[in-house]
Amino acid sequence: MTLALVGSGALLAGLMLTGFSILVSSYAGRVARPDLAAVGRRAFYAAGIAIGLASATLIVALLTHDLAIAFVAEHTDSNTPAGLLVSSFYGGQEGSLLYWVLILSILGSAAVAGAARLHEQAAAYATAILAAVLGFFLLVLAFVANPFDVLQIVPRDGLGLNPILRDGGMLVHPPFLLAGFASFAVPFALAMGSLLAGGGGAAWTQAMRRWALLSWGLQAVGLTLGMWWAYHVLGWGGYWGWDPVENVALLPWLVATAYIHSIQVEEKRQGLRAWNHGLLVLAFLLAIFGTLVVRSGIVQSVHTFAVSAIGPWFFGFLAVAVVGSGIALAARAEYLRSPRPVEVAVSREGAFLLNNLLLLAALAAILWGTVLPLVSGLVRGEQAVVGPSYYDRVAGPCFVVLVALMAIGPLVPWRNAGRSWVRTAVTPVIAGLAVAILAGILGGWRPDVMVAAGVIVAAAVTTVQKLTKGGLGAMRRFGKRRHHYGSYLAHLGLVVVAAGIAGSQLGHVQRQLVARPGQSIAVGGYSLVYQGYTTTLLDHGHVQTTADVALGQETLHPARIAYPDFGGQTDARVAIRSTPLHDLYLVLGPTAPDGSAVLLVVVNPLVTWIWVGAALLIGGVLLANLRLPAKAPAAEAATPRLGAMVRS
Amino acid sequence: MSLTLKWTAVGAVVAGCVGYLAYQTTGTTAAYYRTVAEVRADPSGEARVLGTVDTDVVRTKGGLEVKFTAIDGAYRMPVVFDGTVPDIFRPGIQVVVEGRMGSDGAFHAASLLAKCPSRFTAASPAPG
Repeated sequence: MTLALVGSGALLAGLMLTGFSILVSSYAGRVARPDLAAVGRRAFYAAGIAIGLASATLIVALLTHDLAIAFVAEHTDSNTPAGLLVSSFYGGQEGSLLYWVLILSILGSAAVAGAARLHEQAAAYATAILAAVLGFFLLVLAFVANPFDVLQIVPRDGLGLNPILRDGGMLVHPPFLLAGFASFAVPFALAMGSLLAGGGGAAWTQAMRRWALLSWGLQAVGLTLGMWWAYHVLGWGGYWGWDPVENVALLPWLVATAYIHSIQVEEKRQGLRAWNHGLLVLAFLLAIFGTLVVRSGIVQSVHTFAVSAIGPWFFGFLAVAVVGSGIALAARAEYLRSPRPVEVAVSREGAFLLNNLLLLAALAAILWGTVLPLVSGLVRGEQAVVGPSYYDRVAGPCFVVLVALMAIGPLVPWRNAGRSWVRTAVTPVIAGLAVAILAGILGGWRPDVMVAAGVIVAAAVTTVQKLTKGGLGAMRRFGKRRHHYGSYLAHLGLVVVAAGIAGSQLGHVQRQLVARPGQSIAVGGYSLVYQGYTTTLLDHGHVQTTADVALGQETLHPARIAYPDFGGQTDARVAIRSTPLHDLYLVLGPTAPDGSAVLLVVVNPLVTWIWVGAALLIGGVLLANLRLPAKAPAAEAATPRLGAMVRS
Repeated sequence: MSLTLKWTAVGAVVAGCVGYLAYQTTGTTAAYYRTVAEVRADPSGEARVLGTVDTDVVRTKGGLEVKFTAIDGAYRMPVVFDGTVPDIFRPGIQVVVEGRMGSDGAFHAASLLAKCPSRFTAASPAPG
């Protein structure tokens, strides 16, 4: 009871502090008063401390089984291990919103503290925007979805966590995705700050880029871990199902990916400034839209999150954010006009712009598929829904062209390219064509396989050429060329991911059968022998059934655990044997007393490439961009002059 | 041709291609959400139906096929699904089945999705 009061009180205190910070910071920005801006920032930090207190209170309540608090009783029971007690903090609706504001208050505090050193006035406005976002979430937390709501009658025990959520993977992927979603507010606030102040300078642009990269990285890690979890735990043989919840997590990441490319045009050529600001605004709006879709139940999803009253609140907030940022962008059209627009289509900046258009086209196609039930429900009165084949057929080609662009784009020089670069494209194009024909001969002239193989190999050749250009001599200057190496390492990672996705989508073989003991099973070149199953009694009356499936000298053990205390729900323990070329994926289905068992046997080519490639991709982008020397404004001004002297 | 116009044209071509593809694919692959009552009234066509699994789950063909009744309010519909059911499948949970009504009066599902619960409520089937 005391904990509930402390928690609710901390939320209200945070709400009042953000309100104060909005007023003081926006006024400080308007009259350009650094002393008031500092007061606004401190109010923001103080709100962060209040949120930290509320979060700590909720964790203590979960760990001490304070069942008077509805959130604790609904998500845990006395059997829940301590690690999962902590993870149920973000496992339920109210707690996940609290986690959202906790992350935003931490990242936001770091951002405003850093921004104040770059541009006092823009930083004051950015603080006001961040405080407004934080304030909205605190308002919802305090009055609509309060994690500290108290039960009238205290139950003897809680309801516990669903078995499917009792997995280590569950501990890691949601906090990354939630943190990613929350973090998009920071580059948005910085973009709005520079808009409202009429510009923040080159160092400010760099800060925006760095914060956008953090969001990109968090979201990339979250998406990868989510795919890994779906593949290893859910037991359906795949890693991506084009479910609305997955789609809305992908959308802001696609925008951030576009931004990572187009910001280079602004930094190198002072182009695309309006476009880049627009991308940061769009990424934030999509993150809010994602939270709305995930948390309101307006779109049918496999993930049923408890539907609650927060839908209209988020819808209202989204509407305000769309209108507000639209007005800000329009009002500052003069500042946003780039001194040097992208003049030549065939140039590096043109390639970046084309990359952006393709990413946005894929985004639009995915967004359309996701909201189709809503749109068709409103227009035709019937909810239409599209399945994975829609996304494969519409977004798929966009991604194929994007990979093809990776083979050509990096070869095109900046500015007016001329024709001389065409020679450099000969090797990747010929390699791609040769591999496409080879894939046709080996794979029975399947056009999808040929296109995928050709495009991926062409992109790989270009990327490797770029990485090895200049040989070992160039590598000695690794520190200075970190951006170059990091970028192409990221491209290499993406090529590897693309190969993994293409391999597992196009080469996937599966067979489901009832196997009798001693029966041999042949799937996709593997020959297995089902030997029978054993059952073991676990704690709390849970029963584990384990099958023995022999592959040569090895034995694989797909298993299934039944939870009688959860209405007899069962949970598969997938057996996966990974090699660099294939994953052999075994799922145990129902078993019969005569020793027979239902087995799902899947052969997924190249799945491990996805995990390795994703690690390379994320590592490469971080290598290219983190710890860029923070240029003070003076050094910033000195650099071009130095360059000019060298040239003259 | 002015710059803006040139880039707008490129954008329009990309948007046009993807838009056409999206329009075409939506038309050929979309299924409609129907209630159990609607499917019973008009059994034609591909449909996605949301229902609660009744206690009469039977596994046939050695466990490869599952039969059960989907309940939605006062309406009931027999469902046959040939394939792997999700882990959390059991009486009382909500499932989304996609397929069409067969001449045998049962709904033949090509896919079966279980709603993944974020909180556990009751183990008993939802009352009608």
